[in-house]
Amino acid sequence: MGSKYRFRSLNKYLNPINESLLAGAIGLAIGAIIMVGLGYSPLDAYSSLLRGSFGSVYSWAESLANATPLILTALTFAIAMRGGLFNIGAEGQLYIGAIAAVSVSLIQISAPFHLIIALVAAMTAGALWSLPVAILKLTRGVHEVISTIMLNWIARFFAFYMIANVLMDPVRGEKTISIAETSRFARILPGSSLNYGIVVSALAVLLILFLLWRTTAGFELRAAGHSQESSNYAGISYKKQVLRAFLLGGVLAGLAGAVQVMGRPPTYALISGLPQMIDLGFDGIAVAMIGRNHPVGIIFAAIFFGGLMVGGRMMQMSAGVPLELVRIVEGAIILALAVPELKRIFYVVRKKFARKEQRGGN
Amino acid sequence: MRIFRIKVAAILIALVALVGGPFIGTAVAAGKIALVTDVGGRGDLSFNDMGFKGADEAAAEFGLELVSIQSTSANDYLPNLQMAAKSGDFDIIIGVGFLLADAMAEVADQHPDQKFAIIDVTWLGKPNLMEVGYEENKGSALVGALGAMVAAHYGYDKIGAVLGIEIPVLYKFEAGYRFGMHWGNAKYAAVTGKKADVGLLYKYTGTFDDIAQGKIATEAMLAQGAGLIYNVAGPLGIGDLEAITEHLEAKGKTAGPPFMIGVDANQDWMGDGERVLASMMKRVDFGVYQAVEAVVNGTFEGGVQVLGPNNGGIKMSGEAELADFITFGINGGKITESDRGRITDNWLAMRSAVPSWIWDAVDELSAKIGSGEVEVPCVWCADSIDQIRADWPDNVD
Repeated sequence: MGSKYRFRSLNKYLNPINESLLAGAIGLAIGAIIMVGLGYSPLDAYSSLLRGSFGSVYSWAESLANATPLILTALTFAIAMRGGLFNIGAEGQLYIGAIAAVSVSLIQISAPFHLIIALVAAMTAGALWSLPVAILKLTRGVHEVISTIMLNWIARFFAFYMIANVLMDPVRGEKTISIAETSRFARILPGSSLNYGIVVSALAVLLILFLLWRTTAGFELRAAGHSQESSNYAGISYKKQVLRAFLLGGVLAGLAGAVQVMGRPPTYALISGLPQMIDLGFDGIAVAMIGRNHPVGIIFAAIFFGGLMVGGRMMQMSAGVPLELVRIVEGAIILALAVPELKRIFYVVRKKFARKEQRGGN
Repeated sequence: MRIFRIKVAAILIALVALVGGPFIGTAVAAGKIALVTDVGGRGDLSFNDMGFKGADEAAAEFGLELVSIQSTSANDYLPNLQMAAKSGDFDIIIGVGFLLADAMAEVADQHPDQKFAIIDVTWLGKPNLMEVGYEENKGSALVGALGAMVAAHYGYDKIGAVLGIEIPVLYKFEAGYRFGMHWGNAKYAAVTGKKADVGLLYKYTGTFDDIAQGKIATEAMLAQGAGLIYNVAGPLGIGDLEAITEHLEAKGKTAGPPFMIGVDANQDWMGDGERVLASMMKRVDFGVYQAVEAVVNGTFEGGVQVLGPNNGGIKMSGEAELADFITFGINGGKITESDRGRITDNWLAMRSAVPSWIWDAVDELSAKIGSGEVEVPCVWCADSIDQIRADWPDNVD
């Protein structure tokens, strides 16, 4: 009995890993077929992909640098998902967080405080941008998918406005003022993009891990995610739970924007059109899916995802695969990896609707 | 249990395949150049396509292998350059565009033995980095002069400029265009004996990517009677041209005037070859080619190379380049091969409708600028733009 139990609990962890590896292999196979079809060598391409992403200390550093903001935006999505909510607002919240972080560089503060204040400002800004989502949901019943998509666009154009008109660099109009030296994350490996911002991401993972599985608030959130009705019945406040999920998500996404602009060399400024920020929030959703909405899974998924981005460079450089094809192959792998979690989400959603239909309401 | 074992075996195979991958070697060829572009790669019909054109030509001429590395986002600039430099495979690494400047400065410092070049940047100052800058003010003077003379010829009293974000780099364009307009007015009066009083409408739209702003600005200028619009905001030219096309359609016409003046690339083929009179060409291909040539000939050195009208780095578009850029348009999917003949014919008709003395006058100005006989403001006018605006006024009531 005992050994069987142990085996089962091991299986609980192995199963998702199994699934992911199988999905990954399928993704690689699809990518390989596409490349063969278009006349490129998948062997060359994948070996350079791997060399580029994890073949040296430098490439590890770059992969980790890419993972840094993705971990945070993935956590934003995962927390909401754990609570049964579909938060795709990280994209906009991270723009706002980054704008807040840059704004703090308009004033001069001494070294450690400047960085801390910038981070706090970004977290606050992210949470504030997330607040309307929760309020709209609670008071008017607006679905979070709708409101976050809208707020993402508003955030984007607000950021464009701020970059061009308020925070602009007087000499170089294509970017904002640079983050003050006192408010930057130092680099870990010279020459690479990896910086101490990753510590912020790591701390966030630990915090969320603790929060979700070691606190009442986390238990309530997960309970609501499992079954809204039984958690209501158990007296867990729906209002509190929605607010928690969105505000915490906003804090994390705001941090992602801050960490990216304060840590990622060499410009330390927002560039007009937000080219260093765009899609970090949506990529975070993919990362959360691959990582099964679990903080630990997210770490691995983010590093994997970050590695794909870095390795794609090597695919271009030494295997001669054009960037467009690199992205197609990456997309195939990511999509395959997200399938198991997508399946689960669809299952949950279908069950929800089925129950509503049975009740005869909508 | 059996299924479990199969799963474990599958995992092991997957892992071996993954880990074994990197040990499969790849051949390294001698004589390689790397071209690192920003987020737009081939097919932008402008800056990057021209960079590729220069690199392709140089690679073919000197028998080199060209490796291009396109960036997916601004986050890629540094690692793209870094990885190319670390590989040690390349005789020269060329960055196309000023957005790569910060990353280039850092990587060039870290790899003092690697040769680098960067296009459209002049302020870094590294011994192993060739910086290629362009005299856009001089090119803008040429199209300003053309614009004033053509507008006067067709009975318009204004020309326009739709610019991007108000930054010192764009003052170069504005200053040159102003100067050229006044030169053109004087020339028109001297040749025809009629007074030419063409004035300038200009607008900084505050964007380099919101095409609608180009259209709005152009519509306003056309309504005020502008006969020609200079696009100084890259992609906004699409909006400028759209406004001109609709303006003409309302009159039941397809051919200008009013015309647009293209920028950076040869954009004459756009608008069916009958609405873009000329382009102020910034020969990115020329800069890239020169950098590679210098490395091949052993004459490479760090510092700024200035390309202008006197060495062909800046010029007004002519018939010679039209075919190349029609090809870009075809490759970019904007037009098809069957359009080539019509566009070329339209373009030739458009050009020959303008009196030949005007084209001669532009050539004359170009030669005088090249020889230094005519001096065009300004190289860096962050401080002097107000003075320049006073010296060469708008001429509009």
